Amino acid sequence: MGIKEQIKTVLREAEIYRTQGLFNEAMVKFKYASELIEKNVKPENGRHLVNGITKKVELLKQTISKYNDPEKPPEMPVEIQNLIREKFSFSTDKESAALDGAIALTKFGQFERAIKEFKELLKMESFRLVAAKNILRCYFASSTSSSSAAEGAVFQYKEWLTLGLFTPGQLEKIRFFLENLLREKGIESGLPAAKEEKAAIKMEVAAKKAPDKAMPAIKPLIEIPGSGEEEEEFLDVSSVGIILETGEKKNPEIILDVSFQSGNMVCLIVPVREKLLIESMKAGLRLNNVQFYSPIAILNGSGVVAAFTKISSGPKMGNYSLDLKMFTN
Amino acid sequence: MAVFNIKNREIECKIVYYGPGRSGKTTNLEYIFKTYKKQVADQMVTIDTEGDRTLFFDFLPMGLGKIKGCDVKVQLYTVPGQVQYSSTRKLVLKGADGIVFVADSFTIRREKNMLSLKDLDQNLKECGLNIFKIPLILQYNKRDAGGSIPIMSIEMMQNDLNKQLKVPYFPASALTGEGVGGTLKECMKLTLVHLQKEFKWAQ
Repeated sequence: MGIKEQIKTVLREAEIYRTQGLFNEAMVKFKYASELIEKNVKPENGRHLVNGITKKVELLKQTISKYNDPEKPPEMPVEIQNLIREKFSFSTDKESAALDGAIALTKFGQFERAIKEFKELLKMESFRLVAAKNILRCYFASSTSSSSAAEGAVFQYKEWLTLGLFTPGQLEKIRFFLENLLREKGIESGLPAAKEEKAAIKMEVAAKKAPDKAMPAIKPLIEIPGSGEEEEEFLDVSSVGIILETGEKKNPEIILDVSFQSGNMVCLIVPVREKLLIESMKAGLRLNNVQFYSPIAILNGSGVVAAFTKISSGPKMGNYSLDLKMFTN
Repeated sequence: MAVFNIKNREIECKIVYYGPGRSGKTTNLEYIFKTYKKQVADQMVTIDTEGDRTLFFDFLPMGLGKIKGCDVKVQLYTVPGQVQYSSTRKLVLKGADGIVFVADSFTIRREKNMLSLKDLDQNLKECGLNIFKIPLILQYNKRDAGGSIPIMSIEMMQNDLNKQLKVPYFPASALTGEGVGGTLKECMKLTLVHLQKEFKWAQ
């Protein structure tokens, strides 16, 4: 094949890749064509072609950079959000499925709707804490700036302080959680604790809700040291791998699905076929070789069995439910 | 995860189209939607695209009617292929009963195919599934492009992707529809046979 034909072939290939959306591949081919022209074609004939290719490469670079740095996912129509909530909730009981659905909305970037769903879950005692934490996460994930995220989340926390919905212990956990989120964003904040002057907080919240009404000046809130029971912050774990150590023998990893997670506690379903695991389990047992699989990382760690019970009804009847407290290395 | 309603004798399963970005997963579903109107239960939902790239997932519900006395429903999903949408892929993959891996036949995409298959293996592990055990079909797409673009031979693709897996494979062109129906039918067959062992759904 002559050089002219070769250049034509490479350019045709590059153009096809470009129209197919294979932008990196198209760019490589355009650059190669450019090199071929510069090496083999007289400058007065090749300059025009090379300029044209350079423009195309520049456009491709812009397109690639746009795709590599996508904007926040757009807010979807309600029907699509309903579909996400319905199709990505895997738990069999209604309440856990509602939590799954709200978490799925978060993962698909539908933060406003997710906050609404989590707020519904606040009504359920068993999900209150996890829902509250997720609401705060949503504020940070949805906001374009750290300061507006912080403002929204702190306001939400202060509102909770006045509602009487949470126990003081739960509010302390939420406070630690929010302080960690703020710290990650480089914001040091002395959040008021539950026992603080409720009246002052109530006034502040009311003033935000009705800014046009004249309110008396609010005295700054002082920081009260925390209880020290800071809980380890865990990623969402989708499955857990357990390697049982029985004497010298190292057993293969048993991977179990997480059916529910609250903080560092996961509930796992153990199929009845996992005889060795079932025989070994008892409350209080420490498992030293555990892997926690989350969507963004695999963490090595250990776990302590909080509860181990046989499931006596429903579609998983006959299998076992294992509640495991997670600790990462 | 398939749902089997014993009372109504109804089984609903999930098949996920996986593969590298731009390999033709959405085009597969579009062709199925256009061609198998009788079996398509509702509208195909494409969860937004950015310049034709799937941002979240595509969803196509199908009803296969009665098979062995059981009403069989299948939900088809695609994952976003681009590397940065890893967590979305994992979420869509969760609960899959069968998988179609759509590989790109372009020679230039050889490495991307292998990386995507490796990503599938890893994500399945994280979902507690095993690539060697789950019903899986390989589809070698874009065979029609051979005249204008260097494409890999089937032997080369088999060697790259299917040497260890040894699963059924189909040369295809999702644009023209060649191999699309065959891929889906084989995946459904393997999936339903696999689910029979678990649920004994067939009478």
